[in-house]
Amino acid sequence: MPSVKENGLDAAITIDCVSKTYPVPLARTRQLFRMRSAAPVEALREVSFDVREGEIFGLIGRNGAGKTTLTKIIATLVQPTSGAVTVCGFDSVRDEERVRASIGLAGAEERSFYWRLTVEQNLTFFARLYGLSARGARRRIAELLELLELASLRRRRFGELSTGNKQRMAVARALLNSPPVLLLDEPTRSLDPVAAARTRELIGRLARSTPPATVLLTSHNLAEVEELCERVAVISRGRIRALDAPRRLRSAHRQQEHVRLAVGGLSAERAAALLRGVVARPEVSEQPGAARVGFTREVGDDLLDRALRALAAEGRVISCEAERATLLDVLETFEREDEAAGAGAEGEEPKGVGV
Amino acid sequence: MFVGRVRAFVVRDFQLAVSYRLEFFMRILSVLFVTTTLYFISQIFASGFATPYEQWRDPFLAWITAVPFLNYFLVGFSSLATAIRSEQAQGTLEGVLMTPINIPTLIVSSSAWDFVQATFHSFLYLFFGSVLFGVHYRGSFLLAVLFLVLTTLVLASVGILSASFAMVFKRGDPFGIIIGTGSALFSGVFFPTQLLSQVGGSAFGTISRFIPTTHGIEGIRRVLIQGQGLSEVREPVLSLLAFLAVLLPFSLWVFTRAVRRAKREGSLIQY
Repeated sequence: MPSVKENGLDAAITIDCVSKTYPVPLARTRQLFRMRSAAPVEALREVSFDVREGEIFGLIGRNGAGKTTLTKIIATLVQPTSGAVTVCGFDSVRDEERVRASIGLAGAEERSFYWRLTVEQNLTFFARLYGLSARGARRRIAELLELLELASLRRRRFGELSTGNKQRMAVARALLNSPPVLLLDEPTRSLDPVAAARTRELIGRLARSTPPATVLLTSHNLAEVEELCERVAVISRGRIRALDAPRRLRSAHRQQEHVRLAVGGLSAERAAALLRGVVARPEVSEQPGAARVGFTREVGDDLLDRALRALAAEGRVISCEAERATLLDVLETFEREDEAAGAGAEGEEPKGVGV
Repeated sequence: MFVGRVRAFVVRDFQLAVSYRLEFFMRILSVLFVTTTLYFISQIFASGFATPYEQWRDPFLAWITAVPFLNYFLVGFSSLATAIRSEQAQGTLEGVLMTPINIPTLIVSSSAWDFVQATFHSFLYLFFGSVLFGVHYRGSFLLAVLFLVLTTLVLASVGILSASFAMVFKRGDPFGIIIGTGSALFSGVFFPTQLLSQVGGSAFGTISRFIPTTHGIEGIRRVLIQGQGLSEVREPVLSLLAFLAVLLPFSLWVFTRAVRRAKREGSLIQY
């Protein structure tokens, strides 16, 4: 288990060996009457990690991997079966009110607003529950509506908003009390590309502000996670399978990259001849005006340099693309491993650093 | 902070209520219809009606002092469970529980608007009775309000138990209908409770003593119809206090456990 202070920074969220098994409702009664009932569902198993103050931390995994359960446990909406979660030093079970006061949750659930109330009425209601004064609530709501480009919709009923604007409302509500910790569940899922980019920019700005906001971001948009997050945890079947910086996760996952070159002034046959003795088993094809060459190399070796020199001796290199592992590859690998191992895989050590 | 939060719920529910304007006016009309109906039924007994029960010499007065309060008591009983079910069904309960609101505040706040409405409707019954049908109320209205508050608190405690049931089992409570019709039968809303013993035997009549509404309505009638003061209505006051001392802490304990159980099962917003 990492210490509370990690790399000189305080941990804003500490998750210590958290497991969650959803019990079967009325299990004892069912047992008593010998009724058939489903098995308890294990959603999380011994999950441990810290999120540092001011960090944007990504949590990725497939549907049903345990992301939402973990987020809800941090938000005090679900109690863990075992283990502990602390947020800003407060225990999520014993000090749940203080934890909730420290957290803003923007979920993907549209129904969590009152559809017949306006944008402003909805936000005012929640602002008052967060303890803002009437004046403070008005001021904060005006700021947030401006920030999230909802100002012109303030008198529109929530039910009349587009899906993207409903999503922005969830973010606005999460920011109402300027919480030190933000839990964002797919905050850009339904936004258009421009709005999504602005939201990402806002998330980055919040993490850099003073005092900085700590962000736990769950998303299926892996490009977004790579762009925003300093560290990413991969969760699969309730277990943290890897935790590291996105770049290191990718390189730890696959040491090779596939290189594609387009070389002008050469036939495919000639390109293959030039690469003989340089690249083992190159893929060579011919397209109008250029030979296409593809090969796999170890990241950091000199194979690309040698291939380029050989080809440039008689042709000119038009383009060069390298295809490295993405977070999607990382995710798929763990999923495949889990499928192969079956649900009963136990005792396996998580990969990556810092778990 | 507590008052601010309760006010936020009341304002929210008012805003939701006025978004259904027609229903708002229809409810007022229905109060007028019920009052008028009770008046015309009472006219059946207008000539030559003799009764040994002092509170029932004018049946219209007996009904008009009980029906609105029965409605009020039933709001106390059912409003929290209804609010919890409604928030679960709408999906807003999770949003509310994400804020730093504690359980007692949630309980009071969720029912607050229903009580505002029920107070308004109770007042309308008394108002229509007085203005349209010439009813004269005696005694202290403050003392009547004391009975109103005490009985409502007792029934709200039962209501908290009912809400706990709704929270865990995702069903409207099965006792609501029984409490409603049972109160009408046993608590003397439409006829004197003494008739229960006379017709059904003493055991049958005893049931009414275990229903808090009986003591509430008895107290209100003694104050508003017979004009009795605090020293004369001590017995129903003490009965209600005894109910309250047992039920309120017990129901709060059960509700807290119900919320915890829903969190354990991860079923806070299931419905």
